[in-house]
Amino acid sequence: MLELNNATIKFGGLVAVNDVSFAVSKGDLFGLIGPNGAGKTTCFNLITGVYKPTSGSIKFKGRELSGTPSNKVAQLGIARTFQNIRLFRALSVLENVVVAAFLRHRVGLASAIADLPNSIRETQELKDQAMALLEVLHLDKVAHTRSCDLPYGMQRRLEIARAMATQPELLLLDEPAAGMNPQESDDLLRVVRQIRDQFNMTVLLIEHDMRFVMNLCEKIVVLDHGCEIAQGPPEAIRSNPKVIEAYLGEPV
Amino acid sequence: MKYWPTRVVSILAGLGACFLISAAADASGNDYTKRLVVLAGVWVILSVSLNLINGITGQFSIGHAAFWQVGAYSAGIISVQHYANSGITGLPWLLLMMVAGAIFAALAGLVVGLPSLRLRGDYLAIVTLGFGEIIRIIVQNQKPLGEAYGMNVSPKFQFTWLVWLTAFAAIAICRNLLKSAHGLPFLAVREDEVAASAMGVNVTRVKVTAFLIGSALAGVAGALFAHYEGFISPQQFRMEQSFIILTMVVLGGTGSITGSVLAAAALFYLPEKLRDMGPVTGGQLMAGAFATVLAVYLVKRVIDHFHGTKKEAAIRHLGIVLGCMALSFVLSIVLNQVPVLANARYEAEKLRMVIFSGVLIILMLVRPQGLLGHAEFSWEWLKRVLGQRRSEAAQTS
Repeated sequence: MLELNNATIKFGGLVAVNDVSFAVSKGDLFGLIGPNGAGKTTCFNLITGVYKPTSGSIKFKGRELSGTPSNKVAQLGIARTFQNIRLFRALSVLENVVVAAFLRHRVGLASAIADLPNSIRETQELKDQAMALLEVLHLDKVAHTRSCDLPYGMQRRLEIARAMATQPELLLLDEPAAGMNPQESDDLLRVVRQIRDQFNMTVLLIEHDMRFVMNLCEKIVVLDHGCEIAQGPPEAIRSNPKVIEAYLGEPV
Repeated sequence: MKYWPTRVVSILAGLGACFLISAAADASGNDYTKRLVVLAGVWVILSVSLNLINGITGQFSIGHAAFWQVGAYSAGIISVQHYANSGITGLPWLLLMMVAGAIFAALAGLVVGLPSLRLRGDYLAIVTLGFGEIIRIIVQNQKPLGEAYGMNVSPKFQFTWLVWLTAFAAIAICRNLLKSAHGLPFLAVREDEVAASAMGVNVTRVKVTAFLIGSALAGVAGALFAHYEGFISPQQFRMEQSFIILTMVVLGGTGSITGSVLAAAALFYLPEKLRDMGPVTGGQLMAGAFATVLAVYLVKRVIDHFHGTKKEAAIRHLGIVLGCMALSFVLSIVLNQVPVLANARYEAEKLRMVIFSGVLIILMLVRPQGLLGHAEFSWEWLKRVLGQRRSEAAQTS
């Protein structure tokens, strides 16, 4: 479904992502791990069109992605969350999700300005869709709260809800469990599984919480200093000497 | 409530309001009052349209008077050159000129918008500011446009109701946009462009749309203004005017349509009221300024520290303000003992810009989000407030 072939990006003399190749197939729960500064988020930025790769290719469902602007990537069916939460702060929780759901709108601007019945109907539909998603992520009770007033864990869940509202086939989660306590991260584990099983989305995620990654992901790629150092199922990664040296460390 | 009945009733109510305003202006029987009513409508259109660009989409544009000017001059010159041989007269011609003003101003919006929308914040502000000046100077150097002397626009069309109908239309456009899901991408661009783009919002398109609608509305205001006044000159569209429009938007609360309308009316009538006031002495001026600052400071302190019921807080604020007014009166008598201060005379109207900036500074200190913040007037809100009153009354009785 998603294929990176020798993707490379250089910022001046710095090679942030160097010759990385991996393939995510439909229905995967795919993990992207590595120490800080390894180029994980940069990988996400390459996929979602924030940056254009210096060389190499990124293909989504056989279509070349590199150079496609972010909003186009979202329309093609890839949605993401942000590591440093980027909600629309002054908007309500519901509105945040409706912005994303609006991607699939059909009614034109003119009807909206004239407040025609089809626009009213569509707005209601989008709100209902958004509300249904908020229920899945247990955010329905705070739907009308301003998003910046939410506690941290809820803001992270809202990021996921917002990304899901674009109805993507591939969901990129950038450190979804960051700053969560064990209880919250267990809840999140269930939610991510539900996203895959119930909503048929493929998930590619960056995470530092190893318990979370090893429990959840079926396939993992490890990056270090922009290079790919290992790839495989969790068991193989856990015992891979290179990964232990670069990232996991010796078991004490 | 059913859709069509509500729609028909609200449109009829809007039309009715326009004719009421018009009738009231006519009934006053003096041209000065009538002109004030019309110009207030023009300013409402201008501030509501800038609010769409500045408050709702978050694009800091400070050259709005340029779009107004483009609308006024393009409609004006077409009228002067083609009205006589067009065969169209009266209202239809004016409507045509409004469309022309809108189209030319929207084109100007596109010209300034497309290259500069990659810029953010301060940089966009500088570009729009420069653009405003460029337009004014170009106009000032065109022979057919009357250069710096200005241009007579004939025929004059003085339809008070039409100006207010346009103002209501501008309000309706913004309100409908915000009510539908279509408005959310505009707000999303204001909040976070990167995130908006990742959610599939075409950021450039949203910004250009906002600029197009906003500048087209300003152009319509220009066409109406030119044909009402019958005379336009570059002096009427100085940078100062752009800042007044911006002040209206910021004062009302960036993003709030209700706020823009209220602030436009208030800031338009304030200088006119100041005109009626006689000159003040230096002593009075100093005492007034001192007392205002003191009152604002104290009210701010009370807001910060006081967590009582609203009613008590309101009484306390009122007390502070009244106290400061009394203080100001006493102080002005004392200060007027100083001959220099007593002999200095200031025309209140000429202090307009000073007062504006003072008001803005005070506002930024006390309420940085503007008078209304992001809040809007709505019937639900009114119902809720009235409902509370009623339930309170029921409880006490």
